[in-house]
Amino acid sequence: MCGILAVLGCSDDSQAKRVRVLELSRRHVLLKHRGPDWSGLYQHGDNYLAHQRLAIIDPASGDQPLFNEDETVVVTVNGEIYNHEELRKSLTLTGHKFRTGSDCDVIAHLYEEHGEDFVDMLDGMFSFVLLDTRNNTYIAARDAIGITSLYIGWGLDGSVWISSELKGLNDDCEHFEVFPPGHLYSSKTGGFKRWYNPQWFSEAIPSTPYDPLVLRRAFENAVIKRLMTDVPFGVLLSGGLDSSLVASITARYLAGTKAAKQWGAQLHSFCVGLEGSPDLKAAREVADYLGTVHHEFHFTVQDGIDAIEDVIYHIETYDVTTIRASTPMFLMSRKIKSLGVKMVISGEGSDEIFGGYLYFHKAPNKEEFHEETCRKIKALHQYDCLRANKSTSAWGLEARVPFLDKEFINVAMSIDPEAKMINMDEKRIEKWILRRAFDDEEHPYLPKHILYRQKEQFSDGVGYSWIDGLKAHAELHVTDRMMLQAGNIFPHNTPVTKEAYYYRMIFERFFPQNSAKLTVPGGASIACSTAKAIEWDASWSNNLDPSGRAALGVHNAAYKKNTGPVGSVKLAPNIIDNVPRMMDISASELVIQG
Amino acid sequence: MCGILAVFGCVDCSQAKRARILELSSRLRHRGPDWSGLHSEEDCYLAHQRLAIVDPASGDQPLYNEDKSIIVTVNGEIYNHKALREQLKSHKFNTGSDCEVIAHLYEEYGEDFVHMLDGMFSFVLLDTRNKSYIAARDAIGITPLYIGWGLDGSVWFASEMKALSDDCEQFMAFLPGHIYSSKNGGMRRWYNPPWWSELVPSTPYDPLVLRHAFEKAVVKRLMTDVPFGVLLSGGLDSSLVAAVASRHLIDSEAYCQWGSQLHTFCIGLKGSPDLVAAREVADYLGTRHHEFYFTVQEGIDALEEVIYHIETYDVTTIRASTPMFLMSRKIKSLGVKMVLSGEGSDEIFGGYLYFHKAPNKEEFHEETCRKIKALHLYDCLRANKSTSAWGLEARVPFLDKEFINVAMSIDPKWKMIDRDNGRIEKWVLRNAFDDDEKPYLPKHILYRQKEQFSDGVGYSWIDGLRDHANKQVTDSMLANANFVYPENTPATKEAYYYRKIFEKFFPKNAARLTVPGGPSVACSTAKAVEWDASWSKNLDPSGRAALGVHAAAYEDTK
Repeated sequence: MCGILAVLGCSDDSQAKRVRVLELSRRHVLLKHRGPDWSGLYQHGDNYLAHQRLAIIDPASGDQPLFNEDETVVVTVNGEIYNHEELRKSLTLTGHKFRTGSDCDVIAHLYEEHGEDFVDMLDGMFSFVLLDTRNNTYIAARDAIGITSLYIGWGLDGSVWISSELKGLNDDCEHFEVFPPGHLYSSKTGGFKRWYNPQWFSEAIPSTPYDPLVLRRAFENAVIKRLMTDVPFGVLLSGGLDSSLVASITARYLAGTKAAKQWGAQLHSFCVGLEGSPDLKAAREVADYLGTVHHEFHFTVQDGIDAIEDVIYHIETYDVTTIRASTPMFLMSRKIKSLGVKMVISGEGSDEIFGGYLYFHKAPNKEEFHEETCRKIKALHQYDCLRANKSTSAWGLEARVPFLDKEFINVAMSIDPEAKMINMDEKRIEKWILRRAFDDEEHPYLPKHILYRQKEQFSDGVGYSWIDGLKAHAELHVTDRMMLQAGNIFPHNTPVTKEAYYYRMIFERFFPQNSAKLTVPGGASIACSTAKAIEWDASWSNNLDPSGRAALGVHNAAYKKNTGPVGSVKLAPNIIDNVPRMMDISASELVIQG
Repeated sequence: MCGILAVFGCVDCSQAKRARILELSSRLRHRGPDWSGLHSEEDCYLAHQRLAIVDPASGDQPLYNEDKSIIVTVNGEIYNHKALREQLKSHKFNTGSDCEVIAHLYEEYGEDFVHMLDGMFSFVLLDTRNKSYIAARDAIGITPLYIGWGLDGSVWFASEMKALSDDCEQFMAFLPGHIYSSKNGGMRRWYNPPWWSELVPSTPYDPLVLRHAFEKAVVKRLMTDVPFGVLLSGGLDSSLVAAVASRHLIDSEAYCQWGSQLHTFCIGLKGSPDLVAAREVADYLGTRHHEFYFTVQEGIDALEEVIYHIETYDVTTIRASTPMFLMSRKIKSLGVKMVLSGEGSDEIFGGYLYFHKAPNKEEFHEETCRKIKALHLYDCLRANKSTSAWGLEARVPFLDKEFINVAMSIDPKWKMIDRDNGRIEKWVLRNAFDDDEKPYLPKHILYRQKEQFSDGVGYSWIDGLRDHANKQVTDSMLANANFVYPENTPATKEAYYYRKIFEKFFPKNAARLTVPGGPSVACSTAKAVEWDASWSKNLDPSGRAALGVHAAAYEDTK
């Protein structure tokens, strides 16, 4: 990932302003973490385009900003354009000459050729700002789902600011917002236009019958195109279904890629957890099966707590689930980067597309099921995309997410949602159609017991004591009196737990502006559901723990009514070696939570 | 390099304090991007930001002795750690880190072990058994270290000023070669080599002894578990480092892991003298050579950051640090974590052009001693902080303790510049590597005079800096400079400009006192300005043409 910052029309072209823009874009605490490899600043009158580069493609010559042939069109990009070679070919035919080997170089030329209507031709993840110096107009755009982060703000002097992270503009803008994913901002109209317009966006119920092979191919393509890299890379492997599939496909196709020629055909996989955590064991098993070079990172609850302030500063949210899950990812990213790895492939998005969260068990019908998946995908940029992008970018590591491939989403979201519904009588657990698609007897992608296992959700996988530790720490630092006044202190998105209050305090310290708190979503949720889906079960509205552990009573074990002994969470380590361990643990958890 | 921060005896031991220490420690994260550690023990905190070079997998800090009663946070490399481990046979080691020996040496020898360490280091060690602590810095000050005092009676140590300047009432640079002990609350010099007294030595010059000493210094610095390279400007010093490193790479540990191809790096404005000179050396040695270009505008855009990182307003240092700072970022982006660099040779051998005017060998020798003692304020500070800004480590073989002892014991008459006998500056070093059978470098490179200071990156660099400063600093600002900045008053607009930026980041009086000042010509000490009457009138801190002693100038006068 890179970091971009654009200040447009700020009616100040002095050295002091230049220094301020530089400071915002690169002072050690701001966007430099996103792009540690090089900085660029382009100034045209009172327009500034700044760039902090993480060099993944063409490290030698692809420094930004990038230009068209006569340098009249300037563009600063954060992202990866997977189909850039194809686009180059067609642009070369119409006479365009490229200055660098950077995948992002196509954007300036596409604009020259097609005007503002080219964003849908880009296959990848990206946010960019493009300045046309011929008529002093500019456009900005963000990828379909919002895998890359982007914010827009307005200064009192009439300037428009666009930045990869909130911290690039919050001090200098009077008002700022999340730049909506799949949208284009044009200075000509001064407004947003949605360029991303897939079939599923209307939330109409699709009817294409489920074809496992079509789904498999679509996903394989999505993974393969993400192997485009000139630097060492790896996969994040938690041992769950999604990351295991990513690892399995990568391992299978790595040998033929350019990446393998440069960095060897040995796949590196990475997992983080408290010592002895479920994820570490599950991932090790998958890594052994696939024969990857597997790296395990251990952290302690204290390490995690010490990192919380940093995490909130980087992730720019006070959402409890996101912070819980971001912290281990944040710690792991640092370790991964220290090994010289600059890019990882990760499994985000699958739970949204396939309704993989446990609360989907209670979806009353396929219509509700489908609409909830659509809502979840549309909200991804505020949750898992934000987490995956910013936790890794904090250390100059790039995360690629094949489940959020545009083509793949189209295929997966056109399937009749009947097939996605959970049906325990027919042994269809959550994400069954994805599991089934990779159930290949001849050339197995994964052993069956892994392919069909239910894994810990949310942050439980890194170790049960992680969330307990966070809660205990927050208890110590947030008093009952503070909670009593929470509604008065934080009238917007009022924290309802001490943990939430604790995170909110830290967030407000870094981002005190009113606009900042409005960039974070709120509202009622059960185990990551949207507010709408809470209606699915009457009992849920009484238990609004934002995370998933045992709140739902829908895990496999619960169906079996195998409730096990009542015990404290500390029992978990004793049970952990039992088979099937994960189910047992969830069962006892269930009882604890009542 | 890593970043260390330690605080002892603060009154407040709350979560807020812990969070504050973490925040301050993270100001040093550029130095150690790979991992953070914090050990707190009652009112004592030892924080560490790690750059993993040796034993990346298990060497996270702070480090401990066997029963964890001794805790140490270290920034540095201990080149003789294996030999020391051998001596500490009865001790059990927890990690493969080279720095772990420190905790065990302390257990074994108490406070008197620092001289046993061969390397560059700053460390803080806490003995929890009696709640005492010590801090120490390497002989020459290759690694930076600051000490500060809080109003609550706390004592602070940090690798960079920025980690303690906001929270300390008073602070200063920790003296190189010294140890601070809480038992007596004071500093004591542990580094006590023969040359320190500045007595003129008499050992005759033996080229082979000098050569072997330098080769050993380079070879021991090839200890690494990560990819590395050499900074190559094409001048004598960096070319010798590259030549020796490429010759001995094949026998080193690093070779087994990272291959026998030596990577070399050079930066300059396009077409600059350094780029041409370095390319020639790289071609001769057959290294994988990487050239980086920067523009004057890129350099100017980086100035604020450079000053924030380097923590000085010294003009020559800032000029020279900026290209090094930009290059370090590029080197790091290639995955390289450590580089060897040629700092220190000009001080040891009197390589600066003003040494041409040294009146006699006594003055010559004393000036080299003064220059070495001041290195921590100039080139060590530049080399360490420019690279550490991007998590890159610089190792400097010329500042090897053994090597300095050998080089500084040579009768200085051999170092004197003697044009009649064809001895240009640093002749003893050049001659030591003049091997006809297996040449280290071609003769014309071995004996060439190169651009000094920042001219090598391109002449327009310094001109561009001056032009920029002239635009930003008005005549009336400069006229009132002695009122605004009564201490180390900037004498030029360029100096004023840097000073302004420095004061923005480090507004406290203690901060400006950490930076040296006083008259200088082309990097001389104030004392050596007396060597030529004309110099005191022309105090340009840089070297170009100020002296009239470059070979070209000799020819002009003929």
